[in-house]
Amino acid sequence: MDGCPGAKMFDFNDKDDKKDSGSTAKIQSQLQHWPIQLHLISPTAPYYENKDVLLVADCVAYAMGGFHNDYMKGKSIAIACPKLDIKQEVYLEKIKSWFEDAKINTLTVLIMQVPCCSGLLGLAKKALDESSRKVPLKGIVVSLRGDVISEEWVQ
Amino acid sequence: MQEYYNKGIKDIIDEFPQVEKILDEYGIGCGPCNVGTCLLKDIVEIHNLSSQDEAVLFSKIAKVIYPDRDIKIPEVKRKEKPKEITYSPPINKLVQEHKIIKRWAALIPEVIANLNLDSEAGREIIVKGIDFIKNYADKYHHAKEEDILFKYFDENLDIIKAMHTDHDTARAYVKNVLIGIEERDENKVSENLSAYRELLIEHIKKEDEILYPWMDRTFSVTVVGELFAKFAEVDKQFSDNPKKQEEFICELETKFGSKEVKK
Repeated sequence: MDGCPGAKMFDFNDKDDKKDSGSTAKIQSQLQHWPIQLHLISPTAPYYENKDVLLVADCVAYAMGGFHNDYMKGKSIAIACPKLDIKQEVYLEKIKSWFEDAKINTLTVLIMQVPCCSGLLGLAKKALDESSRKVPLKGIVVSLRGDVISEEWVQ
Repeated sequence: MQEYYNKGIKDIIDEFPQVEKILDEYGIGCGPCNVGTCLLKDIVEIHNLSSQDEAVLFSKIAKVIYPDRDIKIPEVKRKEKPKEITYSPPINKLVQEHKIIKRWAALIPEVIANLNLDSEAGREIIVKGIDFIKNYADKYHHAKEEDILFKYFDENLDIIKAMHTDHDTARAYVKNVLIGIEERDENKVSENLSAYRELLIEHIKKEDEILYPWMDRTFSVTVVGELFAKFAEVDKQFSDNPKKQEEFICELETKFGSKEVKK
């Protein structure tokens, strides 16, 4: 038995092909608001209203080298861990509130490839199913090395 | 070759008829197009061929145009073509509406075979069919395309102009069907209804397989959300009317049996 795939150890240190980004310029943060943890945010905060929102699994921003510029630019965000976070029924209500009250434009869920991470996308789907207002929902799955494995509109 | 990249496809096919066959090999069916002013380079781009296929296609065309010259085709990097077409949610809505319209198109041969303009019931079927075309296909569906979707693109793009031309031609066929009913002219009704069907099937295929996937590739997430909201607004305005129109198709399917569009 290998145990939980989400906790399985990998050492990428010997694979230095991605280590040097080739640039020493300071990368500007694209974060537009605070707080960002899903338990801490208010779904009806003005920076969510009518916006394209990213719901991102905690590990994604560490795995993806260009996360700020490639995904966060111009978007509002919340982060969560579907494996470790407690009281996820609160998450469900907050996501529903994004759809119904904040009237967000779209929701994009970024998750890691490990199986437990799919729970976050599942939670967003459930919230959308239960919501009286529908919006386009996109799911993006990221590999442990930060590459996009799949990107598709879910509903 | 540059000169031909920037030339209308109809002009190229008129000058070099073999080009139509070459394009056909790659699923690019420009031959029967009513407009044909799309530029060769735009057509190939819109069909999203793999880099390799695109290079081979252009080489074959270059061989036809310049049989005595060895033309080097610059490689264009394209994203790998997805195995099956997937649509963004708003575009998927339009594709689902196409499915309803295709169900009507599939019934048209039966409607024509049973055409009887001398009876009240016979006329009623045609009138209801025209009502479906006008209210569902034209007002409800085409309004989303013409008033919302196409506005996100330069309306002078040849591909958009070609779609508008198809819509206008379809409207002209419908007008002739109505004149045919007035004049109790069954030939006029059946000819125009058949022509409408042919046009519609080809038009939907172009949109589902070429135009919509290309549009989807150009859309940002923000545009997808905007389109979705705008289409939902149209759905709200039309209330349960589209559902009622669908019921007419179900009634016809019960009468004539469910059909599938065959090309």
